[in-house]
Amino acid sequence: MLAERAVERIPSLALSPGKIVGLEGPAGWGLTRLGLSLLAAPSQVGTVVTIDARGGWLSPLAAWEVGVKPGRLVMVRCADRRLWGQVTAAILEGVAAVYAEVPAGVGEHELRRLAALTRARKVGLALRPLRGQLPAGITHLRIYGRGVSWEGADQGHGRLLERRLALEVSGKSLPWQAFDLGA
Amino acid sequence: MRTLCVWFPEWPLMVLDGTGPGYVYEEGHAAGGETQRVAAVNAQASKLGVAKGMGRRAAEALCPIAESKPRDFGIETRLFEPMLIALEDLIPRVEVVEPGLVLVAVEGALRYYGGEDVLVAKVESIAGPKARIGSADGPFAARWAAITAAEGSQVIDNDIAFLASLDISAVGREEMIDTFRWLGLNTLGALAGLPREAVASRFGDEGLWAHHLASGEDRSINPRTIPPHLAVEAHYDDPLENLDQVAFSARALSARLMNGLRKEGLAPYRVEIEAESGMGKVRTRVWRSTDPFLEPTLTERVWWQLRAWIEQEGVAGGLVRLRLDPSDLSGAGRQLALLEAVGEGWEGYDSTRPEAERALARAQALVGPDAVLQAGRQGGRMPAEQVRWFRFGEEPGQLERDLEAPWPGATPGPAPSLVPPQPTPIDIEWDEGMPTRIRLGSRWEPVLNWAGPWRLLGRWWRGEGAGDRYQIVTSAGAFLIVTDGERSFLAAIYD
Repeated sequence: MLAERAVERIPSLALSPGKIVGLEGPAGWGLTRLGLSLLAAPSQVGTVVTIDARGGWLSPLAAWEVGVKPGRLVMVRCADRRLWGQVTAAILEGVAAVYAEVPAGVGEHELRRLAALTRARKVGLALRPLRGQLPAGITHLRIYGRGVSWEGADQGHGRLLERRLALEVSGKSLPWQAFDLGA
Repeated sequence: MRTLCVWFPEWPLMVLDGTGPGYVYEEGHAAGGETQRVAAVNAQASKLGVAKGMGRRAAEALCPIAESKPRDFGIETRLFEPMLIALEDLIPRVEVVEPGLVLVAVEGALRYYGGEDVLVAKVESIAGPKARIGSADGPFAARWAAITAAEGSQVIDNDIAFLASLDISAVGREEMIDTFRWLGLNTLGALAGLPREAVASRFGDEGLWAHHLASGEDRSINPRTIPPHLAVEAHYDDPLENLDQVAFSARALSARLMNGLRKEGLAPYRVEIEAESGMGKVRTRVWRSTDPFLEPTLTERVWWQLRAWIEQEGVAGGLVRLRLDPSDLSGAGRQLALLEAVGEGWEGYDSTRPEAERALARAQALVGPDAVLQAGRQGGRMPAEQVRWFRFGEEPGQLERDLEAPWPGATPGPAPSLVPPQPTPIDIEWDEGMPTRIRLGSRWEPVLNWAGPWRLLGRWWRGEGAGDRYQIVTSAGAFLIVTDGERSFLAAIYD
């Protein structure tokens, strides 16, 4: 699937210990699956966690499909922005990698504190803001969803097969680049 | 034990590109509350006033044209590897403290080469003029011999006399040093002159440790035997070929080693890293620390070393085995305070489980046990049915739907990543049975394409009606929709 190909083709797109990847764009443009695929490598050797800020929408089916080990995946639900920072900080203390949806209203100061903790604890962190953008300077790599198109469905025939993502990528020591990824 | 220290004070500068003034900075406390301080500075920048330990902002103000880069231990380690190989050709079992700083026990080498002067001259010829070489009876004194060598080398015959003249700051514990100075103890000799019991009584384990150092006893006076079962090893059926996998393996194995040692109340000063490639080549390297290794510091060193091997020559066939063998263990001193209750670990789970378990237990306390979940696969036709949730820390329980059953009519296509806990009503416009528009929030999106319908027979005995499933594609994404003819529901988003 495309999410895995994106990981191979976009330079630096990986969750390394202590690094933060930001995934920004509306729901439907493929960033959730892309974010979950970042947990596949760390789940081979450690516990990985998703933090669901939508009230239980995040499905493990896609995570398993992109290679996350089922026994290593823990899914935490926290849509309350007042608790979200504490919960995320607690989790960063002890796991290998985290994919965290950021609820609207979480302050910049809190995100910077979590970024420092991520670096100190050498955890891989993918941040997916549900609204707005992440503050500048906290991510090592930012991915912006710019659109999605699907192949396979044909006026009532076929089924969804593959998708094509339009992404923009920028990061520390990585110039801005646009990617059009698909089959 | 006679120990040789080889130190390259300018090694961190290897990451600089240019030949002009430059310095390297690292995270750490500097004057003015700055968190970045200068770690190494070249001669040109030094002439302009930049000094080691200075805050980065102050350095920039003094020398705005200087090239400045963050310290990169990964690159330093890779560049240091050829030097280590050359030194190991001369003396086996070189121990790395950090890139640019090695210690090596030379008892055997002294006998082999016929004397200290000969050996030091040979090391000088390999290390070059930028190296500082110190030789003494213990690693602490050897290191300070290298640091205080004006240029070239310094051989110490009497560790106690040499150490006595050093400033008290050599013990490296800032909080204690202030107190020592306040008490009028300005040199290691003054500290060593105090009764050991009095120092231990006033300063505890750290003071005792400092007194041992000042007395030239180092910590090797009480070496511990190494229980063989404490080494940890991991075999990888699928050879690890990319750096991310290797990084996480390094972290997991380091955590396993430190968890095992913590249970014994031990912390290692030396760790041998052994890696085997898919082609059968085995490499080893010993890393040493002046303080006992903690999990983060060990993880870093394992990662630097593996990255250096991979980036320097590559690991042909991928990494198939990694072993960490602790040696020079100490059960004394402050590392005992690090003892903490470590759980038994859960079967079938990874080595970091005790840490992860504690972290997730804290999360459970904050959001409740029903919001920290694991999931297993089960049978079903709809995405929501195919997941069996259970609380983290509890048994999965019985399958509601048989996974092995054929489930004809299961929703085809890729697994959706967003599935609402309950189907959510959604507005769709239809034209002769074909979807034309879908309402997303306040706007209507034209349907670009669709697949289906797939008939879904409800469990009539539970009052469920039949429905049809559609995969609907718009420019805003693809959605799984269920409609019963009158109303439509959003069942999943293919995000």
